Amino acid sequence: MKIINKITLGLVTATLLFVGCSQNATPAKKEVVKATISEDSLGLRKASLFNEAEIKPNGTEYSQNYAGSGHKIKRAFQDAPPMIPHDVTGLIPITINDNQCLGCHMPEVASSMGATPIPPSHFMDFRPVTTIAADGELEKNGHVIKNTSSEELKNVSIKSTHGKLYGGRYNCTQCHAPQATEPLAVKNNFQADYTDKDGANKSSWQGTKLMEGINTYESSK
Amino acid sequence: MSLSRREFLKNSAAASAAAAIGMSVPAELEASAAKAESGWRWDKAACRFCGTGCGIMMATKDGKIVAVKGDPAAPVNRGLNCIKGYFNAKIMYGADRLTTPLLRMDAKGNFDKKGKFAPVTWERAFDEMELNIRKALKASGPEGVAVFASGQYTIMEGYAAQKMMKGGFRSNAIDPNARHCMASAVVGFYQTFGIDEPSGCYDDIELTDTVVSWGSNMAEMHPILWSRVTDRKLSDPERVKVINMSTYRHRTSDLADIEIIFSPNTDLAMWNYIAREIVYNNPDAIDWDFLKKNIVFAASPVNMGYGMRRTGEKSLSPARPDGSAGKYTAKEMETIKHEMVHNVSAKEAPALEVYGYKEGQDMVNKPAGLKHWEISFEEYKKFLAPYTLDYVAKIAKGDPDESIESFKKKLQTLADLYIEKGRKVVSFWTMGMNQHTRGTWVNTLSYNVHFMLNKQALPGSGAFSLTGQPSACGTAREVGTFCHRLPADMMVKNPKHRKITENRWKIPEGTLNPVGNQHIMKIHRDIEDGVVKFAWVNVCNAYQDSASAKHWIKAAREMDNFIVTSDGYPGISAMVSDLVLPSAMIYEKWGAYGNAERRTQHWRQQVLPVGDAMSDTWQWIELSKRFTVADVWGPYTLRNGKKLPDVRKAAHALGYTDDTTMYEILYANKEAKSYKVDMDSFPQKGYDNTESNGDSRNVIGSDGKVWKGYGFMIHEYLWEEYASFGRGHGHDLADFVTYHKVRGLKWPVVDGKETAWRFNVKYDPYAAKAVAKSGNGSTHAFYGPLAKALSQGDLMGITDKKKKSLKDKAKIFARPYMDPPEMPDAEYDTWLATGRVLEHWHSGTMTMRVPELFRAVPEALCYMNPKTAEEKGLKQGDLCWVESRRGRVKAHVETRGRNRPPRGLVFVPWFDEKVFINKVCLDATCPQSKQTDYKKCAVKIYKA
Repeated sequence: MKIINKITLGLVTATLLFVGCSQNATPAKKEVVKATISEDSLGLRKASLFNEAEIKPNGTEYSQNYAGSGHKIKRAFQDAPPMIPHDVTGLIPITINDNQCLGCHMPEVASSMGATPIPPSHFMDFRPVTTIAADGELEKNGHVIKNTSSEELKNVSIKSTHGKLYGGRYNCTQCHAPQATEPLAVKNNFQADYTDKDGANKSSWQGTKLMEGINTYESSK
Repeated sequence: MSLSRREFLKNSAAASAAAAIGMSVPAELEASAAKAESGWRWDKAACRFCGTGCGIMMATKDGKIVAVKGDPAAPVNRGLNCIKGYFNAKIMYGADRLTTPLLRMDAKGNFDKKGKFAPVTWERAFDEMELNIRKALKASGPEGVAVFASGQYTIMEGYAAQKMMKGGFRSNAIDPNARHCMASAVVGFYQTFGIDEPSGCYDDIELTDTVVSWGSNMAEMHPILWSRVTDRKLSDPERVKVINMSTYRHRTSDLADIEIIFSPNTDLAMWNYIAREIVYNNPDAIDWDFLKKNIVFAASPVNMGYGMRRTGEKSLSPARPDGSAGKYTAKEMETIKHEMVHNVSAKEAPALEVYGYKEGQDMVNKPAGLKHWEISFEEYKKFLAPYTLDYVAKIAKGDPDESIESFKKKLQTLADLYIEKGRKVVSFWTMGMNQHTRGTWVNTLSYNVHFMLNKQALPGSGAFSLTGQPSACGTAREVGTFCHRLPADMMVKNPKHRKITENRWKIPEGTLNPVGNQHIMKIHRDIEDGVVKFAWVNVCNAYQDSASAKHWIKAAREMDNFIVTSDGYPGISAMVSDLVLPSAMIYEKWGAYGNAERRTQHWRQQVLPVGDAMSDTWQWIELSKRFTVADVWGPYTLRNGKKLPDVRKAAHALGYTDDTTMYEILYANKEAKSYKVDMDSFPQKGYDNTESNGDSRNVIGSDGKVWKGYGFMIHEYLWEEYASFGRGHGHDLADFVTYHKVRGLKWPVVDGKETAWRFNVKYDPYAAKAVAKSGNGSTHAFYGPLAKALSQGDLMGITDKKKKSLKDKAKIFARPYMDPPEMPDAEYDTWLATGRVLEHWHSGTMTMRVPELFRAVPEALCYMNPKTAEEKGLKQGDLCWVESRRGRVKAHVETRGRNRPPRGLVFVPWFDEKVFINKVCLDATCPQSKQTDYKKCAVKIYKA
């Protein structure tokens, strides 16, 4: 009984919310909001779950622009990894002996190749050297540590790789991907806030910016 | 450009100098550590996606996320993320976020299972849930109320759900999608170590000489761990060896020194081959001192089936002359019949001979549970005899175009690398070994090899199970949101464990249900059998992620039940539901995740949820307000005849009345209220807390009134109560506030110090304590308490029932190669493996809504060998049907992609709603872990 009353009340509330009827407080079922949302309109499939014949999978048409043709894709937000604007056929896979991305994107050659240069952040190693001391203690940068992370941020380490690409960034495709022309399944309302004048085109993550904001304890104490 | 590079070099030269004198970061960089761009607020958080557990730095402005960067202070990923990690920035902003509850209704506004959806209030939504849970309890008791839970729950969400389900409804029918992802690893840990989760930590990568990836595409599935492996490999390419073992070529092969393409399921045989090489051909490599102090040998039954439905179950009845049975077609029954009787094949016969089986003989299967017993080393040696290089190479070679000589050479090299004295080896795996009808077995086999060589639980050496989901460890395993588990490795069937939990939860003794068998596939099957009448999908996509999907969708839509899905976006689970609830997403709530190296990481609520979305924690707690002691704590009789006692009187003795709500008992009790809201201090200062305080949206809550918050710090309460279960028991966690200051800590955290290598006396205080007590002088103590007394026997069975203690010891198991229940034949001539791609997460509900990730991989392709395509009359880009005995879907053919299968195998990922591949997959599971094998079934491919 109690339940039924609650449901009725709930219905009235629903009515008030969605139909906007603000005067009538008695149950008025005819003013109930109409159930118009079909299950097939939800999600990305846009078709019955019981019928495969009518489904057509999306397509995958990547850019035909050749590498070096000068096309660029805007970065999604300040210092986001840029997506690959050119055809990668024949350029990947990246193997231990062959990383063709480097041929055009190393900073020394990038501008002459019309390629986006690999930014400074990729020529530094943030990982402290990990070793086991003779007595078995775990060391980072030659120091015995209590924990691998600490509130004083003692274990933050930033070192130059002296112009050699940091090994952990060798697999370019773990962050950078070619983009198909397929229309989006759903719009995304994210809004970028470029803090750098050239933020849509260039990484600014270097120098003092590397550490910016990372002491989250200090900044919100 | 070159200028900035010079600038950078100047800066980094300073950094190097600083490092040389013991400081890691130069002062001018450090000064910026607490500052931010004007108007931006930076905070740390954990990545939403895989089990690696990277730290991210997240910037918000005006209540919206504006950027994500890799966190230089996060030990896991050190300033680097993968493509999904960076795009955490966008995952909450897809245009079709669910913003209000939706209910199927008729024209009069009543619930109607056949109706379309209409928006309703939270109050109406909870009214309907309450009504339908009462109906389900009445019809089927606690077994009729189920939850599809998640390895993506925050720890507090999982704990809140677990309390209401097991403590409130007395239902153990709560099981996570993590069942699909690492249950085999868990049972492997339990059986081997007596306690869950890995010995090692990610520092193993920098310390090892050898990385062997067993059926795991780490390059795409754990990209940041792979970037660490890559850095290690490039730093010493001669010494460091990388071996990729897989059923098809993929990106992990691209970096490997050796690639071994094997036939599905034969990982079992290859582990036993390496063990045989050690025992028969390199006995000097065995560390007998280590084995004698720390290891026993064990065996278990082999005729245990494949975790499919069994004859006699409701939906398999009646059996008809045409071969069909109940709701299953004759075609489906061709595979399901193996569950009852399996005919031993030529491929597996040599391995099964020691168990008394011959080729062509029928093996009658029966449920074996987790039973195992101790055997002698001689028995183990006898068991290993068949795994010669000839036999294993013959059954394991997976690429028909590779020569047997080439394959043998690789296997031999693999064994040599493991055995080589002084060579450190880490074996990694994830779904390949876990999603396997002998998943528990193959997990235990990995430890065999490492144990015999004394290369386990040492810096740089060990068999290391990686998890797939961000909190499969933290929430599913450690909190215990499985049907059979309680927090901190306790079990519902253990009366002592129930009592500890009941006392901690301040609920009457006898409340908790001792029968925990409704694992995730059992919940689906129980819905199809009409037993489960109410099911709630939490932080997962149970109707897209489960194999034999057509059955479960049909059962949800066509039977008398009530299905609820809580989610950020509408996916396939929402489509089949009766009620859809809008959930706050990851950074719209406080939370914590636990990753694969036992690292627990917390974050604060960064922004307000969209629309009327509210967190899953809130949804559970609001639901608990609807049920009183009188409603749920009366007597019940379970299906198996077991009686749950009436505990209402006992509840009165605890000071509750019949009208006391579960909310007052489980969530808003005296202890909970001692955790204060404190907006003037760290970590709460400056951050929203929708559950505790309400928020500026003024959402109309479950009682029709504006939501103003619980008035106490609910997240800290749930954390501290949960953490109290493990402290002092080998699962020690630090306090809530500490985690907000640091980038995670690896449990057990003892005296403020994390544990790098478990079971190792040098690093693990629990191991040190155990060895001090036993006085055996061992370097290790495998102190896990589960299954630590065994009967004695031989390969065939128990010969002496008396149980012998094996305190502090681990086990080496004799477990043979066996075929999976469905293999390619004349009609269904191709293996199908499924999985993920780097750019998409699970069912794609988040990542398909991020433009960059969508455009990177807009569809699930059918990756196949060009020769297979040619044989089938297909070419690149054609649309083909992929059809099994269970169903068919269409996909585009890809012969040149990142995955390059051998002839006879295709790979189709499962993120795409339009390529609903789980309709094709088979719901066979490991009979011990109940984890589905998504990696192998038989299909035919033809032009669409």
